[in-house]
Amino acid sequence: MAKKILTVDDDPDIIAFVKTVLEENGYIPMIAKNGEAGLAMVREEKPALVILDVLMPKQSGIRMYREMRYDKELKDIPVIVLSGIAKRTFLRSQEALTEFGDQPVPEPDAYIEKPVEPEELAEMIKKFVG
Amino acid sequence: MKKNETKKMLFVTQFEELWFDALESLMDLRKAGFNHVVFLHIIERDKVAMRRGKGYLKDEEVRLREMANVRFIDWAENLFEQGMEVGAYIVVGNVLPKIISTAKEEGVDLIVTGRHRRPKLEELYAGSETLELLRRTSTPVLIHKYMLPSGKINDKPFERPLLALDWSDASENAVNYLLGFTDVIKKVVAIHVASEKLFKSDSAMEIQAIRKENRQKLEAVCDRFREVGIEAESHLYVGPTCEQIDKAAQEREATMIVGGTTGSKPFKEIFLGSTAKKLAERSTLPTLLIPASAKSKES
Repeated sequence: MAKKILTVDDDPDIIAFVKTVLEENGYIPMIAKNGEAGLAMVREEKPALVILDVLMPKQSGIRMYREMRYDKELKDIPVIVLSGIAKRTFLRSQEALTEFGDQPVPEPDAYIEKPVEPEELAEMIKKFVG
Repeated sequence: MKKNETKKMLFVTQFEELWFDALESLMDLRKAGFNHVVFLHIIERDKVAMRRGKGYLKDEEVRLREMANVRFIDWAENLFEQGMEVGAYIVVGNVLPKIISTAKEEGVDLIVTGRHRRPKLEELYAGSETLELLRRTSTPVLIHKYMLPSGKINDKPFERPLLALDWSDASENAVNYLLGFTDVIKKVVAIHVASEKLFKSDSAMEIQAIRKENRQKLEAVCDRFREVGIEAESHLYVGPTCEQIDKAAQEREATMIVGGTTGSKPFKEIFLGSTAKKLAERSTLPTLLIPASAKSKES
């Protein structure tokens, strides 16, 4: 049975690109346009993988990732961060939030800085969900 | 405003007046809970609109969008690394409707914008964009001018606000709003500008009574600030409202001008609206305008 993969991104061009990669590789794409909607969809659909942007309206990927890792039911869902924001920034931001008193969270399973070639993305997805 | 509650600021930039240093000058507001910044850049429709023989300028839209995106990513990285939350919108459309719809969608607590001026002729028919924004939003609007006439950056605009009071509901909203900034404001300079017309009476007693009444009201407002640990002083001015507010701001070394505005009653709008517009557009200081319909931050 085809696996569901959620893309959380507000850029229509990236959404179209990732959707095409997912469909061509036999996955079922799901789309959310911000972290808030993304988190709601993860809770409802329990996808096999999340491809997550960082800079988005309503709720950033940084906060959505944190929420996922705090949630017992979601913490094991692999996350590939696909963003224009540097990995260094993502990690420093998580450190800063931990310094403010939040619980620490592990690094994301993979981090790709945009842009990405379709083959590279497909290969990365296969690595986590087969 | 409750402490520890995350507040959102909508930072509107057309990359003309407001750049990252303008945003940095507002970082003191983190002490008041503003830990979430939402960037908004609007690609004005006429820049990408249909041209005869060319159609919609999609390539130009992509170019403008990516330019804004590169800037926002750089700014966002800086804020994310400080543990702040950041969001961004790059949209095509008309400036005012997009500001209003984004503010509503995000539920922001403060809109920060530069001076948006329409061409003179357009303004004559359609009115000021600043006034229109205030008329159509219940969110406080900061018309930010972060460069002082000296060329230095006004890096703590909320430190010493001049609060212009006209005893309207909007004024009361402005007081309530500022009371939420106890960790940011050091001193409030509360003023009332009395109209010269009120002093046309030939009775000295009557004039003194007006002075006394206004002083008492000003002191009552100052006491509310003192109760929450903010220093406050009061002054009464007489003369044309806008000029006197600007003069008071200079004399009292204010870092910002704050006032309530109303757009609900056409008659009042002519008076109050024009004062707000003049202050927003002419004063060299940032101008924080609180609409009468703003929700009280104390409630």
